[in-house]
Amino acid sequence: MTDVVVGRLADFPAGTHKVVEAAGRQIGVFNIAGSLYGLPNVCPHQTGPLCQGRAATGTLTADREGAWKPRWVMEGEVIACPWHGLEYHVPTGRCLAYPEITLRRYEVTVRGDDVVVTVGGRRP
Amino acid sequence: MAVESQPKPQARRTPLSDLLIVDSDVHVHESPGALAPYCDGPWDVALRNVADVPERYLDIPGFSPGGDGTLTARFPTSHEASRMVHTPEQMAAELQAINVDLAVLFPDHLLKLAVLPQADYAAALARAYNAWLVDQWTSRHAALLGAIVACPQDPEDAAREIGRYADDPSVVAVYLPCAGLDPLWGHRRYDPIFDAAQNARLPVLLHSVTVTSPVFPFNNHGFDTEFARHATSHTFAIIANLVSMVSTGVVVRFPDLKIGVTEAGISWMPFVCNRLDKEYLERRREVPFLTERPSHYVKRVYVATQPIEEPERLRDLVTLMELYDGEDTTIYASDWPHHDFDHPMKLNQVPFSEEQRRKVFGENALELFGIDRAGRRR
Repeated sequence: MTDVVVGRLADFPAGTHKVVEAAGRQIGVFNIAGSLYGLPNVCPHQTGPLCQGRAATGTLTADREGAWKPRWVMEGEVIACPWHGLEYHVPTGRCLAYPEITLRRYEVTVRGDDVVVTVGGRRP
Repeated sequence: MAVESQPKPQARRTPLSDLLIVDSDVHVHESPGALAPYCDGPWDVALRNVADVPERYLDIPGFSPGGDGTLTARFPTSHEASRMVHTPEQMAAELQAINVDLAVLFPDHLLKLAVLPQADYAAALARAYNAWLVDQWTSRHAALLGAIVACPQDPEDAAREIGRYADDPSVVAVYLPCAGLDPLWGHRRYDPIFDAAQNARLPVLLHSVTVTSPVFPFNNHGFDTEFARHATSHTFAIIANLVSMVSTGVVVRFPDLKIGVTEAGISWMPFVCNRLDKEYLERRREVPFLTERPSHYVKRVYVATQPIEEPERLRDLVTLMELYDGEDTTIYASDWPHHDFDHPMKLNQVPFSEEQRRKVFGENALELFGIDRAGRRR
């Protein structure tokens, strides 16, 4: 496992994300309400630059409990690939359309003012 | 979608970067202001009048009215669904990045040419677009080849346009708009277009786009969602027009005319072949000019792959192609830069034989467009 300092905490304000380079990998680092998450910047669908798009958003859901009415949920937690729009839940890496797909997640920690991405380990 | 069933790369497979890739459908961005200098009066005045109108995706009032993006609620997303290509340099660089060697250019806004009710305006737009396409794009980059548009509202003028560009080395096809078209392309009023294309040795390529319009099969307001309308509109339009062209005898009246269809995927082809053959058993006397069973003519049509279906078992795509004997007629298309474009890597995951792969990615398109591997017309 390798720890890579990818910037200062101030570089990742809440509600934003950006793509960083760590040990040869492109990783999208997201700050969602003060929690940091790391996802690969490649969509397994057609290799699109998953994390290079605009800000993470919410998405729509509907279920029996809600009488099948659509609701806007997961505000700020969903990234859609800029190429084809395949949606992922950033905190879990879960693909919303295809549950068999879960992205690997990189551990992102704060040490002092530094943001550190851990690469090369097992999936958290 | 099949991320789990990617075949292991075989050692002797030619890498995509070394394979000839002909992209049969990419889109340039034409604006009213850009076309105005190429447009006959008085329509140039109308184009300049909307040149500064804020543009929604493929939707400018008085130019390309009524896009899908204006009918449905718009929620925020990071999906960049409105990519555009503004210059040949941008196009060449972006296509090179996905290993495309040669590409056939279609418009953005003029995908909706057929919905314009003013025939003279539509014909003037088509002439302006064709002149602009050759002057600004295809004459400036050897890898960029043109599909000139045939204006369905004025078939005689469209035929003259085809004659005008018949010998242009950078024009390799005639684009037939399908969105909002009425009547369908099998109608005899379009015979001058097919005659001109056949004489010019230019294939015709049908291309649709999602619109909601009173004309069949775009009366899709019965669907509640864009999911349903977009999922079906291209394919419905291609099926409707192809069945029309077979059932009115275009395919026999113009035996040397090559026909291609774009942006409908491939999985509907076995259905059309089998369904028409079944109907032919009972109703041959209604189409007595067909001397072969209908699938014979349908199978001669070139089918562009995008948006390629993504079944869990990707080998199903090989089976689908074989069901319509499509090894020599299936052609790769990306639809770059549109929101549902296909990167070559996706088609490359399909377990084609190496020969099928070479044909589908490039060699079949060389036959359709009558070009050599450098894009020169033969």
